[in-house]
Amino acid sequence: MHDLKRQPPIDFDGPTQIEICDLHYSYPGGLQALNGINLRVAEGDRIALVGQNGSGKSTLINHLNGLLPVQQGELRYKGKPLAGEHLLQARLEIGVLFQDPDDQLFCSALYDDVCFGPLNQGMELGSLEPLVRQSLASVGLEELIYKPSHHLSYGQKKRAALACLLAMKPQVLILDEPTANLDSLQENMLVELLRHYRGTLICITHDLLFAFELCQRAIVLDKGQVHHDYRMDDLVADPPSMREHGLDFSFRLCGVKSSAAVALETKQDLPTPQVEQSTISNPLELVALDHYRYRYSDGTLALRDVDFSLQAGESVAIVGENGAGKTTMLNCLLGIFSGEGGHRFAGAELTKKQRRLLWRKVGMVFQDPADQLFCASCAEEVGFGPKQLGLPKDEVKRRVDDALKRVKLDGYQQRVPLHLSGGERKRLAIAAVLSMQPELLILDEPSAGLDPQGEELLLEILRELPQGKLLVSHDPFLVAELTSRTLVMHRGKVLADYSTAEFLADQQQNALSLLAPGYKRACERQVLELQHRHEHAHLHRHYHEHPHRHGDIAHSHPHEHEHDHDHVYTHSHIDGDAEHSHSDSLRYHEHSHPGHENEEHDHLH
Amino acid sequence: MLDGQIVQLPASILFAALAVLFLCWFFACRALRRLLSTAQPVAEERDWSVPTIDADFTGDSLFHRWDVRFKLVALLGFAILVVATRSPWSALLACGFSLAAIATAKLPFLRSLRRLMAISGFVSMFLLLMPLTLATRPDDTLLMFSDIDWLRFNLRGLGLALSIAGKACAVTLLMEPLLATSSLPRTVEGLVKLGVPEKVAQMILLSHRYIFVFLEETKRMATGMQVRGFQWRSNVTTLQVAGNFLGMLFVRSFERTHRVYAAMQARGYQGRFPAPFYFKVTTGDWLHAAFWLVTGVALLCFDRFGGF
Repeated sequence: MHDLKRQPPIDFDGPTQIEICDLHYSYPGGLQALNGINLRVAEGDRIALVGQNGSGKSTLINHLNGLLPVQQGELRYKGKPLAGEHLLQARLEIGVLFQDPDDQLFCSALYDDVCFGPLNQGMELGSLEPLVRQSLASVGLEELIYKPSHHLSYGQKKRAALACLLAMKPQVLILDEPTANLDSLQENMLVELLRHYRGTLICITHDLLFAFELCQRAIVLDKGQVHHDYRMDDLVADPPSMREHGLDFSFRLCGVKSSAAVALETKQDLPTPQVEQSTISNPLELVALDHYRYRYSDGTLALRDVDFSLQAGESVAIVGENGAGKTTMLNCLLGIFSGEGGHRFAGAELTKKQRRLLWRKVGMVFQDPADQLFCASCAEEVGFGPKQLGLPKDEVKRRVDDALKRVKLDGYQQRVPLHLSGGERKRLAIAAVLSMQPELLILDEPSAGLDPQGEELLLEILRELPQGKLLVSHDPFLVAELTSRTLVMHRGKVLADYSTAEFLADQQQNALSLLAPGYKRACERQVLELQHRHEHAHLHRHYHEHPHRHGDIAHSHPHEHEHDHDHVYTHSHIDGDAEHSHSDSLRYHEHSHPGHENEEHDHLH
Repeated sequence: MLDGQIVQLPASILFAALAVLFLCWFFACRALRRLLSTAQPVAEERDWSVPTIDADFTGDSLFHRWDVRFKLVALLGFAILVVATRSPWSALLACGFSLAAIATAKLPFLRSLRRLMAISGFVSMFLLLMPLTLATRPDDTLLMFSDIDWLRFNLRGLGLALSIAGKACAVTLLMEPLLATSSLPRTVEGLVKLGVPEKVAQMILLSHRYIFVFLEETKRMATGMQVRGFQWRSNVTTLQVAGNFLGMLFVRSFERTHRVYAAMQARGYQGRFPAPFYFKVTTGDWLHAAFWLVTGVALLCFDRFGGF
């Protein structure tokens, strides 16, 4: 059962802060991004705005502070339409944390960035500095107050962008993918900060565990429409509904549960993926770094005495906090950065001339696919590498078709890469590397910014690839699924080089404080409890579309009354038949209700 | 003095002089680079440093405390007066003043040396070409080299080149006390107060902020092409690829522009950047400005009436 346009079935504790009625929006190209949105947001609401890439989430939040004009419908903030003076005032009360912090930190130094909003609010210069210091201190960046933004690491930039908003003391805080590319430590800091935020919180995220931790209400958007608007608990407890909207992350919970349990119990290695063919003369060692050191141009030692060897067909993960030197190590392995120490490829010392051979055997998929995609069509993009190898046209075409098929993009040959969705672009970037038929695939944060469905598809594709993989990721689930060996890095050093099973066991036992899963483990347990499956009867609430007649008029609307009754239903239960208790709170269940639409009723329309 | 003479020298002296000049420049640059790299402390965390204009604005010195509007007028005025001098000796004196300014501002000399290194190629070309290409006057002293009759080394040209090089160095050195002792937004706000249009000021600030982001994106895209086997060559394919590359950079920059503008609007931007500081004029500001302008005028008088 799938109801549309339903009003929120949760109680409003405070007055309505934002009210949206029948909001439509089309982009100049004709793309209908919003299609009749109806929504009420109360003061103090904590809302997760979820949906697949392209479902209209960003378009909706761009309306909430007037960045996009209302084309059709109504949008009210504190009871007034967002226009004129009220719009300007609303922008000073509604803070938006954009996805890319470089877009938000547009001043020359952090101090100026944090000042920007409060000065526009009319704050006196005299009281500015304490406020700036307090805001930066709240995100742990007070010592960087006069630093230019381009001197900060990604995680620091993200926190600084949040400090810019907190300094404005916003009544509504809107966050667009706040956890993308953050390590566990930074993510935990962010969660801690947001837990103490007392205003209205609207959070766009694909990370449903993060949303589960912070939000009580979930709004599911699909094709520009509100498909669900209910409690967060009800969203995560309903895998079929989540799957329908590409949000089902249950595969992660099962994966983590099983791999972690195996790791804890047996500490045995996961099976090593096999490579179909190896053309390397020395099958044992593909690339290696020996006592390798790399220093940035500013003198900072980025890699310290790194020893690392990778065999053909081996799949290895590199984990570590933001700024640990993971990406630098990848660049060194590829010979893009040149440091001191031994660097071997196929058993021989790597020379400048040999780098081209290395790049044929080792392909790299960048964190941001935009860094890799620059051609006018997908076929050109994927064929770029083979063409550089001087292959004949037929062979290039064969490789293009094969690579696109492998990443499930067949038929996309003439599509423009720039017009693809985030997940498709990521897969296209992988195809562009696969067409060179590398023996090793380097993947830098491959799942960053993907919705759960895109993530699952990517995982499926990567699992099927025969190549060895060198994976850089903050995501222990991805590490567990794709690799058999893990390198833990910290401040340019390799702290541990052991099996992935041992790494997961260490993580479970919080032995790696910087990579500790923090709040997520508790959330996973709660979600697993909510998703259990067996038959039983209990009191519940019911909320559904109600087609009925009033004399000659037949119509349908969301059935707004709630009722409790004994009900038998089926739901998942991961731990089998073990005894368990259910929460006393009444939950909503979607199920058919035979004959109910014909019952007598009396309500306003 | 050798006024109005032609001096014959063996050709080997010319080659030796050129070799010495080139080697001096090469080794000076190399030594400086090495000095700069070893002078940097080994930090625990990466500073992500790229050269910035206002690297030392948090310091405390006469220059740091000086009102930026007075600083701009006085030091730019002094620089113009320095440029108006003619003799190499005046230029040398101006260099001395600039070095004194750096010392007073407690700025690291290494950064200034790096600035000098950046202009060293340009200055060296002057030193080499001007003596050989300057139009000859009857009273010029020319050095001629046996077997190379067409080549005449004009000593007046060398003097002129030294003067230009000296002035260039003096002005370059002066840029550190001028720009590095105040934050860039404050300097730009100072320019606005002096009449520079606000839109231009905002463009300067945003360009300074995003040039680094743009460079990083360019580097990553170039690396992405490189690891897929691309090599820059002089053929049509390279031109096509370069077209795609530049086009994509443009598209990305254009999209970023929209996003940045949206982020600015979302925090209340209504056409102007609010200045997070105010200016307060003191007697010291006036005196300090007067000192530099009077020094500049004195230097010009010394140049014009000092018998050079």
